[in-house]
Amino acid sequence: MISRVAEHCLWMSRYLERTENTARTLEVNETLLLDFDVPVEQQWRPLLIISGIHDMPGDVDGETVQNYLTWEPSNPSSIVSSIAAARENARIIREVISADMWERINYYHLWIQSAEARDLYLRSRTEFYCQIKRINQLIHGITEGTMSHGESWDFYLLGKYLERASQTTRILDVKYHILLPKPELIGTPIDIAHWMAILTSCSGYEPFHKKRLFGDLGVSVADFLILDPLFPRSVRYCLARAQRAIHAISGRPIMNPGNEVEHAIDSLVRWLNLVKIDDFVRSGLHEELTAIVNQIHKIGDLIHRTYFDVQVGGPVEASETEMPSTSMSEEDEAPSQGQTQSQASQEYQSVS
Amino acid sequence: MSVAPEAIRSLFDGYQCHPTAWDELFASPDCPHDHCEPLVSQQGELTISEFQRLRGNADLVFINQGITFSVYADRRGVEKIFPFDLIPRPVAASEWKAMETGLHQRIQALNLFLHDVYHDQRILKEGIIPTALVLESKAYRPEMIGFEPPGRQYLHVVGSDLVRDAKGQFLVLEDNGRTPSGVSYVLENRVVMKKLFPKLFQRFRVRRVEDYPQRLCEALSSVAPLTAGDSPCVVLLSPGPYNSAYFEHSFLARHMGIELVLGPDLFVHDDRVFLKTTRGPRRVDVIYRRLDDDFLDPEVFRPDSLLGVPGLMRAYRAGNVTLANAVGTGVADDKAIYPFVEDMIRFYLSEEPILGNVPTYICARPDERAYVLEHLEELVVKAVNESGGYGMLMGPSSTAAQRAEFHAKIEADPRNYIAQPIVTLSTCPTWTEEGMAPRHVDLRPYVVSGTSSWVLPGGLTRTALVKGSLVVNSSQGGGSKDTWVMEDGR
Repeated sequence: MISRVAEHCLWMSRYLERTENTARTLEVNETLLLDFDVPVEQQWRPLLIISGIHDMPGDVDGETVQNYLTWEPSNPSSIVSSIAAARENARIIREVISADMWERINYYHLWIQSAEARDLYLRSRTEFYCQIKRINQLIHGITEGTMSHGESWDFYLLGKYLERASQTTRILDVKYHILLPKPELIGTPIDIAHWMAILTSCSGYEPFHKKRLFGDLGVSVADFLILDPLFPRSVRYCLARAQRAIHAISGRPIMNPGNEVEHAIDSLVRWLNLVKIDDFVRSGLHEELTAIVNQIHKIGDLIHRTYFDVQVGGPVEASETEMPSTSMSEEDEAPSQGQTQSQASQEYQSVS
Repeated sequence: MSVAPEAIRSLFDGYQCHPTAWDELFASPDCPHDHCEPLVSQQGELTISEFQRLRGNADLVFINQGITFSVYADRRGVEKIFPFDLIPRPVAASEWKAMETGLHQRIQALNLFLHDVYHDQRILKEGIIPTALVLESKAYRPEMIGFEPPGRQYLHVVGSDLVRDAKGQFLVLEDNGRTPSGVSYVLENRVVMKKLFPKLFQRFRVRRVEDYPQRLCEALSSVAPLTAGDSPCVVLLSPGPYNSAYFEHSFLARHMGIELVLGPDLFVHDDRVFLKTTRGPRRVDVIYRRLDDDFLDPEVFRPDSLLGVPGLMRAYRAGNVTLANAVGTGVADDKAIYPFVEDMIRFYLSEEPILGNVPTYICARPDERAYVLEHLEELVVKAVNESGGYGMLMGPSSTAAQRAEFHAKIEADPRNYIAQPIVTLSTCPTWTEEGMAPRHVDLRPYVVSGTSSWVLPGGLTRTALVKGSLVVNSSQGGGSKDTWVMEDGR
């Protein structure tokens, strides 16, 4: 398939997945700390961190943050921007995706721009975010059922699982920014409430409890969200699915890598299959999560060089050029209002 | 006259024909043309309220499917639908047959003309067309001299604009032999009409337009380079998603089952064209390009073009890829050449033209120039090198100062001007703010040619929406209608 088309397909999928994740965390946070006396900023700042935003104008209160992450057109990770970007990518590859997919994506883009969507937002925040969550779920269902399961489907899945793995990692890491630095709070009701919120943000509340894990709650939640082999939003599961998609693209068997992308994903998955949560705790959860996010970034970069940036003579093996930013905090420098899309970091791929 | 309320008033009640124009539905007030009678009686049963509801449904279909024109200031730019009017514009089978023959004849002559001006230049040597007019045309491409395009075909897709005068005669207003657009609307309009009026189509024998993409694909494949083999790789080259016709490019690629590519998706290696795919380069045989000559190849044409493919002309001239339409076809639809098309038909085919031109005065000829200068108030004056209404004088609505300005311009550079009498375009009942009213229409039929030619039985009927306006362009707020070519017997 055309390299450019594959790239749009991957990004369409990433933006859809991102929309769902943003809606989910906003919805959870709305009700999270109702029972606790927590400073407003402490309740809402983590959401900005998850989206890599450090320079939101105005006060960090519920309304401002929700508005910024939902409606702000200059914020590339806002829901309205993500849907517009997904739709623009879809429009460009309209000849590749199915008619049903296009109609639904276009419909939701128009809906989010409508007065009706605004009304729902004002009337019921929960209902609004639930509706947004359903967009990605619905479109995924339509895609599964109507788009040919060839290479475009593989790139679609690859985008979806890379984005989801990266979101789960970030959601989990947020705990580091709010509570872990204060050991005296561990095990308190507010600590427990946070862990539950993190689980709920990843739709993992019930699956987690079915596992009936004992011991330290934080460690158990981290174990579940990073290493569970079956939970569809765990980092390990998502990356295993991404690995499957990558190997489907080349047709080479898993763990028999033939290019740099396959090498990178195979070794990351192999490591996640072997590592234990205690290793993570020993070396520091934040540090390990940062390493995972960086690996995901590196894979994204290698995908670009291997499949999208084709040169004369076939897909060239990546040469030793500079790697993308290597620390989570650097990477978090998402484009601010003044920046154009082309200056945006890899996380916020332009559709041009 | 009292007006019945909308809920019971039917569609054509009280419709007033235009005083002088030919009406496409009605031969005289209350009396439709024969071939329109069943349409008028059946659609006429609708009440205004029902009709309004259907109009709303039609708009929704276009919006939800994203069949929109876009002006992208940013990625959430304004998108508009191309206004669609639900009253079709029928064409009788017999009329269509004549038009079809006339179009074949015209395009055959234009194609021979193109081959001639890039080879022997017989028509220039014999003085049928002034040499300077052709060779000094901005659209003349010396790069094409001596080059033989596959199948000797230059004009793979032509969309000439036809108008019908007050006597009911079809005339060619201009030829579009570069990258004519609009055919996707012909097909989408039909889809919407079939959804909204299934019963009309059960009763009528309207000729199908749905075969267009397949026909185009076959025509393009038929003129692939000989090296291409049995299943040539055909692609559509678009200027990109920010082009206002991107929807159409995507639509055609989708329905033809070919790849839509942008310039940077292609590269030329060893005078061959390749497509960048996730599995490495893939050879391309035929490019249906929706990009003007100027932007095709920065090595040969505009060096600042980022939309084209460096080296494409080398590959083309080496015979390794087919471009459709061929490079340099603009000289055939140049406004200065237009007045000579009838002579071309006589010269190359020894036939009388079936479709006439709108009478045109060539200001380069002294006697015609004198007439034009004396009658500026009644004429449309057009600068031959301009398009999009720029450099044009609409005599009847002009001021004395504007006429004086054109008087001076024509005298200073007579070669650059032509003039035509104002044609009262035919009208068709159209839904407007003041109810059902006559609005001027034109017709753009599409002719597809590979090793043989085919005329799409239908076409884009564009309609002015402003009362009295003769401007049907979408950029001027015009709309479109479904064009119904009747099967034989209607």
